[in-house]
Amino acid sequence: MPKILISDPTLRDGNHAVQHQLTLEQVAGYCAAADAAGVPIIEVGHGNGLAASSLQVGESSVTDREMLVTARKNLPHSKLGIHVMPGFATIPRDLAPAIDIGVDVIRVACHCSEADITQRHIGYVRERGRQVFGVLMMTHMLDKDRLAEEAQKMESYGAEAIMIMDSAGAFLPPDVSTRIDTLVRILHIPVGFHAHNNLGMAVANSIAALESGATILDGTARGFGAGAGNTQLELLVAVLHKMGYETGIDLYKILDAADLAEKNMIPVIPTIKSISIVSGMAGVFSGFAKHVQRISAQFKVDPRDVFFELGRRGIVAGQEDLIIEVANQLSTRRAAPVAEVV
Amino acid sequence: MTTKQLDDMQNDCALSVGEDVNRLFPLRNANLLVTGGTGFVGSWLAEMAAFLNDCHGFKINLCLLAPRASDFRSRAPHLASRRDIELIESDVRSLIEVPRETNWIIHAAGSPDNRFHFSHPVKTFETIVVGTHSLLNAASRLSALQKVLCLSSGLVYGPQRWEDVAVAEDAFTALDCNNFANLYAESKRAAETITTAYRSQYGVPVLNARLFAFIGPYQLLDRPWAINNFLRDALRGGPIRLQGSGETVRSYLYGSDLAFWLLSILVSGNIGGAYNVGSPMGISLKDLATKIADDAPRRPRIELNTLPSAKVSNTRWLPDVSLAQKQCSLEVRVPLDQAIRRTVNWHAERILQPQ
Repeated sequence: MPKILISDPTLRDGNHAVQHQLTLEQVAGYCAAADAAGVPIIEVGHGNGLAASSLQVGESSVTDREMLVTARKNLPHSKLGIHVMPGFATIPRDLAPAIDIGVDVIRVACHCSEADITQRHIGYVRERGRQVFGVLMMTHMLDKDRLAEEAQKMESYGAEAIMIMDSAGAFLPPDVSTRIDTLVRILHIPVGFHAHNNLGMAVANSIAALESGATILDGTARGFGAGAGNTQLELLVAVLHKMGYETGIDLYKILDAADLAEKNMIPVIPTIKSISIVSGMAGVFSGFAKHVQRISAQFKVDPRDVFFELGRRGIVAGQEDLIIEVANQLSTRRAAPVAEVV
Repeated sequence: MTTKQLDDMQNDCALSVGEDVNRLFPLRNANLLVTGGTGFVGSWLAEMAAFLNDCHGFKINLCLLAPRASDFRSRAPHLASRRDIELIESDVRSLIEVPRETNWIIHAAGSPDNRFHFSHPVKTFETIVVGTHSLLNAASRLSALQKVLCLSSGLVYGPQRWEDVAVAEDAFTALDCNNFANLYAESKRAAETITTAYRSQYGVPVLNARLFAFIGPYQLLDRPWAINNFLRDALRGGPIRLQGSGETVRSYLYGSDLAFWLLSILVSGNIGGAYNVGSPMGISLKDLATKIADDAPRRPRIELNTLPSAKVSNTRWLPDVSLAQKQCSLEVRVPLDQAIRRTVNWHAERILQPQ
């Protein structure tokens, strides 16, 4: 049976859904359950990754150190993973201590056109002998050939696999297939896919990735993640088993882990709300949803208009402060006399 | 660097030269210029020149030209402080002239580091293509010039087919010039074309050497090639991780052999010729990792197939060096086992050496 590596960012992407307020008890409980189910990699941290806790993108309720130490203690078999974005995480202050704690897999991420900024972080992880994946986010914003060039940079820097993220949940299966197919053809390292479910395509897109040659897939318990959530892990595992793929994950135990996650840490099961559909249509990062809704209410504008305007401007994660500017401009424009608007 | 390390490198040079020092006699009392002279290739050429001067009275005046030549002073003070070695800090892209008494040139400028190629494709192209043009333009005005050896790459041939045992000098396949990953190879091809143009139009006595893969002291462990990664991982205690089954085949020529080969081709190679430079003896990456692990201070674990992959991408990259063997009587003199042991020990001593 063909092997697929499953990486589970429930405790990282899911943190977006609770404004980065996951507790150590929740981390410990889910880690133990996912480990028992045989999930190969469990990723934990702030929604935006290591050292991202901040006023701008949201402050975590616990420190990175506390979270990693707790996860490490509760993962006797599974690998412990982290998401690292250069800019948030520096090497000496953040990455080195994380590796000292015992992180096994470091996924160095950047916007899809900015792979150059990952060289030092990827190089450092290789020096420390840990496994490093390159992660390209918001990949709907680049065509397959440009995306391949960015992935080739990461491969040259030492990445051992490349993940492409549909951060905005904007892809349809052919969008995924064409990109994955190109990367698999050009790269010499494995390729993986991380979906968001804004358009209800997370599982279908993950399968499209698989059929185009991806061998690593992300999924989260109940789809717990930013915006409309991610690929639902327990569902993905079931589908993969039905298709004859080997994941090494015990179906009953992953179903139990998802039940536990729902009970202990998911206040609202991710559903595809109207705002998530708009986010996916606009191609804006799913994690913006809560910010957009809050700020739109403040400026009394339609959050759907805000999303489409953000999409038109090509806004990416880290530019959350521009939501205010967009909402303010929409508000001002609406208030202006008609003659001035035209 | 310790006295033992210096002695070892001198012994390496002696082994590579063997009984054939007379082949290099045309270099006696000569002025030799090496561009890009402070990298792996330049450092070994400097070691070899120092050996020839100290042990065989060659009296070579060696001039190393590089953009950050001062770094060399801290990296190799035993070479940089010698009276017969001069450092010139200059960027080959903007080179106007070279020392007028120069007799021989080895043009080694241009990093083979593909991380740099991907991040700085324009500078890569400029350094290789514009740099070669600048150097040959300056060389064309030298009255005492004997020969220029430009260092190209075995990548100019395009990918080697798995079923081919080795790549000979006429085995060109077409490269896709719009493929980002081919930029370095295409730049080297363009540089070789410039050498042809200067030879044809201005009579510059130039030839090319196409380099494959190498091993030895001065090799930086942060470079993105399999052997560097294996050495780094082994010295750190492991594990050594290999994507796939490790059946990809490469070959490695030791640094002192490389220096002797290049000087021999410079002296004996035909103007207008191109010579593959590398070891013809292939080894799978799995076997290479095992040999490195065997020589490491603490034997590291070797992990194969670390991640699932949709394709098997084993490749082979081996030079056919029969032309260099026939025309310049070259052979591998430092066996791979010895080369690995020497390299591991050199790095281990540097790591363990008190700062």
